[in-house]
Amino acid sequence: MVLKNPKLARVAKGARLELVPLQVLVPVVSTIIALGIGLLIITATGASVVEAIEAFWDGMAGSDFNIGASINRAISLALVGLGFIFASRANLTNVGGEGQIAMGGMLATAAALHGAGGLPLGLAFIVPLAVGTIAGAVWGGLAGFLKAARGTNEVISTLLLSFIALPLVYWSVESFHLLRKPISDVSSLPESAEIPDSTKLPLLFPDNGSPLHIGLLIAAIAVVVVWLVLKHSTLGLRLRAVGLNATASRRAGMRTSFYVILAMTVSGGLGGLGGAIMILGQQFYLTSDFSSGYGFDGLVVGLLSRGSAVGVVIGALLFGFLRSGSINMEISAHVPSAVVLICQGLIVIVIAGSAILTNRKVTR
Amino acid sequence: MIDEQMAVFIGSGLRLAVPIIFAATGEMLSERAGVLNLSLDGMMLMSAFTAALASWATGSPLIGVAAGVLVAMAVAAVQAVLSVTLRANQLVVGIGFNILALGSTTFLYREIFGPLSRDPIPGFAQLNLPWLAHIPVIGPALANQTGLAYVSIVMVVVTWLILKYTSFGLAVRAVGEDPRAADKAGISVAKTRYLGVLYAGILAGFGGAFMSVADSNTFTENMTKGAGYLAITAVIFGGWNPWYTLAACLLFGFATALQFLVPALQLDVPVALLLLLPYLLALVAIAGFVGKSRQPSALTIPFERGG
Repeated sequence: MVLKNPKLARVAKGARLELVPLQVLVPVVSTIIALGIGLLIITATGASVVEAIEAFWDGMAGSDFNIGASINRAISLALVGLGFIFASRANLTNVGGEGQIAMGGMLATAAALHGAGGLPLGLAFIVPLAVGTIAGAVWGGLAGFLKAARGTNEVISTLLLSFIALPLVYWSVESFHLLRKPISDVSSLPESAEIPDSTKLPLLFPDNGSPLHIGLLIAAIAVVVVWLVLKHSTLGLRLRAVGLNATASRRAGMRTSFYVILAMTVSGGLGGLGGAIMILGQQFYLTSDFSSGYGFDGLVVGLLSRGSAVGVVIGALLFGFLRSGSINMEISAHVPSAVVLICQGLIVIVIAGSAILTNRKVTR
Repeated sequence: MIDEQMAVFIGSGLRLAVPIIFAATGEMLSERAGVLNLSLDGMMLMSAFTAALASWATGSPLIGVAAGVLVAMAVAAVQAVLSVTLRANQLVVGIGFNILALGSTTFLYREIFGPLSRDPIPGFAQLNLPWLAHIPVIGPALANQTGLAYVSIVMVVVTWLILKYTSFGLAVRAVGEDPRAADKAGISVAKTRYLGVLYAGILAGFGGAFMSVADSNTFTENMTKGAGYLAITAVIFGGWNPWYTLAACLLFGFATALQFLVPALQLDVPVALLLLLPYLLALVAIAGFVGKSRQPSALTIPFERGG
């Protein structure tokens, strides 16, 4: 569309020029500031900053194993983040990633332990992945249904659903008739038995000791698909329309309820897939707190990305490497990994607080 | 034996309810003004830690409580600036604060009290508020409560009176239902919301401080264990009414205490199902399947003058 009036055209161009860099600038600057504060805190503890950074770097990328482990973390975060931006395209805020991961991981474990192990042609891990995805989709879709049918605020419902999912996982690993492994003479911890080898995700580089698995390819496909749907499809446009003005969309003949439920179902499904990949790819057995923190980390990744699939990838890698680095920093340099939590909290707060800069549109 | 168990159950149910009563009561008022503080859990956790630290450093739990409340108020003030003045997404800001609170309290706890120490902090066992010993015995369960527990009930009454009979309460309700009309009637939406959030911060501070200096006499990492979320849940389940919210808090307290009673009575009910019960009830309530629970119209929606 070409604006005839040159003055108007200049205004429109100026607005666009101003908006795009800010959307990139704000997350980058807040991340740098937060990491700077993290460094200051490390200095304040009297720990050697050089030693801390060395340990941090070593944990992130010191070996093939550590790089693989960091990327494996990023995979699940990216899937939750993609789910977040998918829902937010329809102006829905899915804060229930934690619960969707939990349901996905729990049911993927159940599928892997009961029946999927003997399936041929890679179905042994594909079926549990699908089961986990469906479990997350149902958990997210439930919030979408409540929103569409009862007008329930999806933020509150996804949060409540998370707090319902976590005890369910706890229950499943506490109960022998569910997923808890039989008491052996070795241990009787409340956790599931290890999943069969055939259900574990195949490694990409089995020869060099890297734990990197094919979840990377799954996540890459998900990134491309979500990007295509959100940016280049009618569906993406309709989700946006429903999010911007549900009443107008309904008058234009769209079934808004359908799109609300769809957005939340897909969003939850991506979280469920992330949870399934965590179990099948690296943890191999279910514990009651296996999802701990991943849901909120994924949410932060989604936020940082400001709706862009590429942004999700960058954010997920950043947080995946940060997590790995912080764990090693605690072990080797004795700097509490909680420093990274402080940085993450600051990043979220600063970005949320500066939304007023990036969303200049007039609210009515 | 059963009587004794019941007394212990009632006592622990009340004890578990007190922090939620504090936090939920303040949060209820703030939500009536249209601001949802998902950061409640973070405020409580920061207050619990600060109260433990200050009480440990000065030897006075009263100073501990005061310090805890001040820190929670400071968090609330920043939350108010972000969600009222800067019109940030209240939920996202809240989650950010909770991550920050968990990180900073865990970090400071390890730096000050030693890495991964789960032992009671030395000297804390004697830090019971001295004037509590003289509170008249009402019943075996009630007698075992600390003074702060009674304050929590007083705050419910005070909050109810504020909402119902003061001009500030009227302003809160107006701002939460229709900020534009309230603004046109000359009520400052921003000021009312700031006060609402600060009020929530003060009470969340009391709730958090109760956990560390009045209840357990220690601090443990992430000791609120989601109590702030439970308080928000209680507000929803209580339909934004002070008395129903109090009832919801008591229900949640007893539901949590059931997990200790059920194994003692050798009943075959999974503890996990008791843990999720409050959230399930709240979900059913907010979905509108039970009774009429309607949230304030302007809840979580930032207000901008003019336009």
